[in-house]
Amino acid sequence: MAKVMLEVKELTTKYITRFHEDVYAVDHVSLTIEEGKSLGIAGESGCGKSTLALSLMGYYFPPLHYMSGEIIVDGKNISGMDPDTVRKNVLGSDVAYIPQAAMNALNPTRRISDFIVDVIRAHDPKADKKQIKEMAVKRFEELHLPKEALDRYAVELSGGMKQRVVIAISTILSPKVLIADEPSSALDVTSQKVVIKMLREMMDRGFIKSMIFITHELPLLYNVTDDIMVMYAGQIVERGSAKEMVFDPVHPYSRGLMRSILVPEDGTRSNKLIAIPGTPPNLKHPPEGCRFAERCKYAMPSCKYNSYPIMEFGEEGRTYRCGHSVEHLREVYANEDRQ
Amino acid sequence: MKNTLRQIFHSSKFVAGFIIFVGILLLLIIYPLINPGNPLEMIGVGTFAEPGTYVSVYDTVTTETETLKLPDAAVKRLGNVLKEADRQKMADWLSAMEIDVSGLDLSDTDALLAVWKENYDETARPAGMTKAERNYYKRLNASLGSLGSAGKMTVTEKDSSGEEQVVATIGTEDYVNVKDVPNTKNLVLGTDNFGRDVLKELVSAAGTSIFIGLIAGAVATVIGLLLGLLSGYLGGLVDDIIMFITNIFTVIPGFVLLILISYSIGQDKRGAPVVALVIGLTSWTWTARSVRSQVISLRNRDHVNLSRLSGHGLFRILATDILPYIASYVVMAFILQVSSGILAEAQLSLLGLGPKTTEVPTLGLMMNWAMLYSAHLNGSWWAYFPVILMITLISFSLNLMNTGLDQVFNPTLRD
Amino acid sequence: MKGYRKYFGKKIIWFLITLVVAVILNFVLPRLMPNDPVAAITGKMAQGVTDASASQRIYEKYQEEFGTNKPMIEQFFIFVGNLFKGDLGTSFSQYPRKVSDILASSLGWTIALQLPAIIVGWLLGNLLGALAAYIRKGFDKVLLPMALFMSNIPAFGMAVIMLVLFAVKWKIAPTSGGYAYDMIPNFSWDFVKSVIAHYQLPFWSIVLISIGGQAVGMRSMSIYELNADYVKYARFLGIKDRKIVGYVFRNAMLPQVTGLAMSIGTMIGGALVAEIIFSYPGLGSTMFTAISGGDYPLISATTLIITLMVLVLSFLLDIIYGFIDPRVKAAQLD
Repeated sequence: MAKVMLEVKELTTKYITRFHEDVYAVDHVSLTIEEGKSLGIAGESGCGKSTLALSLMGYYFPPLHYMSGEIIVDGKNISGMDPDTVRKNVLGSDVAYIPQAAMNALNPTRRISDFIVDVIRAHDPKADKKQIKEMAVKRFEELHLPKEALDRYAVELSGGMKQRVVIAISTILSPKVLIADEPSSALDVTSQKVVIKMLREMMDRGFIKSMIFITHELPLLYNVTDDIMVMYAGQIVERGSAKEMVFDPVHPYSRGLMRSILVPEDGTRSNKLIAIPGTPPNLKHPPEGCRFAERCKYAMPSCKYNSYPIMEFGEEGRTYRCGHSVEHLREVYANEDRQ
Repeated sequence: MKNTLRQIFHSSKFVAGFIIFVGILLLLIIYPLINPGNPLEMIGVGTFAEPGTYVSVYDTVTTETETLKLPDAAVKRLGNVLKEADRQKMADWLSAMEIDVSGLDLSDTDALLAVWKENYDETARPAGMTKAERNYYKRLNASLGSLGSAGKMTVTEKDSSGEEQVVATIGTEDYVNVKDVPNTKNLVLGTDNFGRDVLKELVSAAGTSIFIGLIAGAVATVIGLLLGLLSGYLGGLVDDIIMFITNIFTVIPGFVLLILISYSIGQDKRGAPVVALVIGLTSWTWTARSVRSQVISLRNRDHVNLSRLSGHGLFRILATDILPYIASYVVMAFILQVSSGILAEAQLSLLGLGPKTTEVPTLGLMMNWAMLYSAHLNGSWWAYFPVILMITLISFSLNLMNTGLDQVFNPTLRD
Repeated sequence: MKGYRKYFGKKIIWFLITLVVAVILNFVLPRLMPNDPVAAITGKMAQGVTDASASQRIYEKYQEEFGTNKPMIEQFFIFVGNLFKGDLGTSFSQYPRKVSDILASSLGWTIALQLPAIIVGWLLGNLLGALAAYIRKGFDKVLLPMALFMSNIPAFGMAVIMLVLFAVKWKIAPTSGGYAYDMIPNFSWDFVKSVIAHYQLPFWSIVLISIGGQAVGMRSMSIYELNADYVKYARFLGIKDRKIVGYVFRNAMLPQVTGLAMSIGTMIGGALVAEIIFSYPGLGSTMFTAISGGDYPLISATTLIITLMVLVLSFLLDIIYGFIDPRVKAAQLD
């Protein structure tokens, strides 16, 4: 068995709104990623996937607050560390982050190379400026980025270039886990492909040891990641390999989500666009039972009161969270598809 | 609309500004009802009468009296008469007699008199004191005694035959009820350099200044709005020309144009409405710029395109498809223009270029008069401080409302 | 480099255009008005002269001196030609002093007073605004309404309050003038001390007024920047908060330079009126005496020199801004 790069146990974090209400956006989430593997996290907007990305960093500032659970990166538990140690020893080097809006992720009035100096010195205050710049040039060359970009200000770069520069900066310390939060959603199709290719190449060359890729565009996940995890209302509802999740989703929400998009492969039986009716629950007051019960067309009366644990089934690593058995669900789906 | 209003009134800043402004408006409406008359009437002959209640001395003599025995009346009376110089002299005498007065508060009449009475001796000859000085102290001591004792004062009047008739004999324990005196005047803020009631003048001036601000704001907003709408919607050459003019007048300081125009119009043609108009004419550039940028962001929206395809005319599109979307910005710009219009009038008046002085007071003119007569140097705070406070409060309340609106319409600024 | 050249070229052309327009307006505006300034001056000068032909002679003399008997276009070229020679005519209220001499002596006072005061006020205001944005909470709640209130005190009001408190009541500063009235300007230590003493009150009152407005603006700018995406990203890269705050304040402060360029005209206008309160021997007081003395040539020249001052300052600020903010260069390349 390969080395586990990231292990998260029962992580819970909350937002405190400006009206002093608690919003549990990440609720007892557990996951593991092995070296060289990538995990995709999918869900509607507001399901907590972006918050999960932030929570995994182990570095919290208002309005996000850590509640409970553990984050273990390459055997090192970072959830109990004091914030400045996390900042200095974990961020960037153990866990790195690519933000959703790379367009505005860079300080507009700082040269890229100076910003890289700031990043490296934040972890090693005595680092030599000249050496850092040489190293940055080397890394840019390795990633096929023009080294002239280093002397530019962010405002002088094009959108696609900015995104690639951001990825290069995020991974400059060769992190063990890279968390990419919709890194390509704002880009055109060509730039998207370039970004995805770049991320894969970095995995292959060992610049990053594992990756979590968050998106609402499922076809992208199918092509990029090894595993897919579906989140709903702050909880994980199902996890499996990319292929299983696309062709054989078990949880009613996963099935709805997968069917609501077009997967461009043979064998997907139904290509109809079916949106899931309703909206996710308000996490200020989450439902006491299954959180999907309100919108679930297979819900039993008891689903509103019973919250179900996440359970393993079938092949190794597959989990789901539902009151129905896997067999029952598969049978229902099969009947539905026949009609 | 209803929802927007509710949101606006949820903003504490807007509400605070609104309350202050409405408070000022209420004062402007209600006070003239209580105290009617011409605000420029010169009721005082002297300049800068202090704030307070003025009681007719003549009338009190003939008013029914009551006898009141107040324990500290004599001391207070003495305190009022005993001048600062006399107090200092008394202390000097005591020091000359080697009596320690370092701990004595000279303004405390009671304590000073006690020490004095205990130690003063007519026959004493303090070292280095001339005879003339000793005589001064004798007189001072004698007058202290007579003031303290209960002497009566007689008021007489010459009758038709030229004989002096006693009208009243006034004792130290005679009091009149202010209510019974037919002529009293409460001057809350005293009088100004021309002997005019400052509060009455201030209320009238604030009204005129707000009026000037509103006219100036309206003129500036209408010009700015029209130019901004045309420039932003039509684009091309029209936009270039309008923006060329706007940019020039943004850089050339408005108050310089204001001074030049106001001076050229001449004092006798410069009524308050004219001044307001001139202020408006020199301050529309901000509105034009911001309206233009708003319109540009709107002009290619679907509903505008639809309207254009339906063959609607330019003015119909501007009025129905664009104006409603920028209304909040226009209102905010208007509020700021009103506030800067009031300030512009005040500054212009201080330079001596304000509205005609004979018709109405404005806050700027009041300030100008107070400064010309050195109210700030002779301690007549009531002639200028309320004016400054009024200008500040009006402008503060308008700006608070504006900030509140800004926070409602630009959510990034919300706390 | 191309971006810079384009930006600076544009700014220089604008400066020249506005300069020409300002000179034309300064010439035309008073002449468009129904009042004949020469007649007004003649009326003043000929007071007590009963002989009609005598006042007619005075009128013609002034017409000659001003050249108002010539066509408008010709007058304009004479006006511009004189401008280039530095000849702004002769003052009426201080006859026969040259207007250029009067302005030369007051311009220095105004620049020495206002420029440092506005710069100090701008810096302090930005610092306070940044603090208010960073600390927020109670500090912000107290400071913001205070700054807002302060920024609404008119310049002359602040000047009067300062004057009354510090000069009249506590007597720790002189009440008026640029130096003690019994001194003759020279470079002795006593004179310099007197100038410094007289400088304090006008200086601090202009500083105080500038602070409020700048602080309010800087606070909103900083809050906007603090919520920017690059702040979050920099944090997740492990960069220290102190460094990030540095980024934020730099970025928030840069647009404040343009803000200053845009509002410098209004600020100088307010400060000129504050000068009058202190009888400071600068352009404001010159303007005041010129207006009350009906000194037409002096008024027109003073407005022209103030306009020129504002134009030059905002031009310089634009140029500085072009150098310090890379976003300007990028915007020109689009």
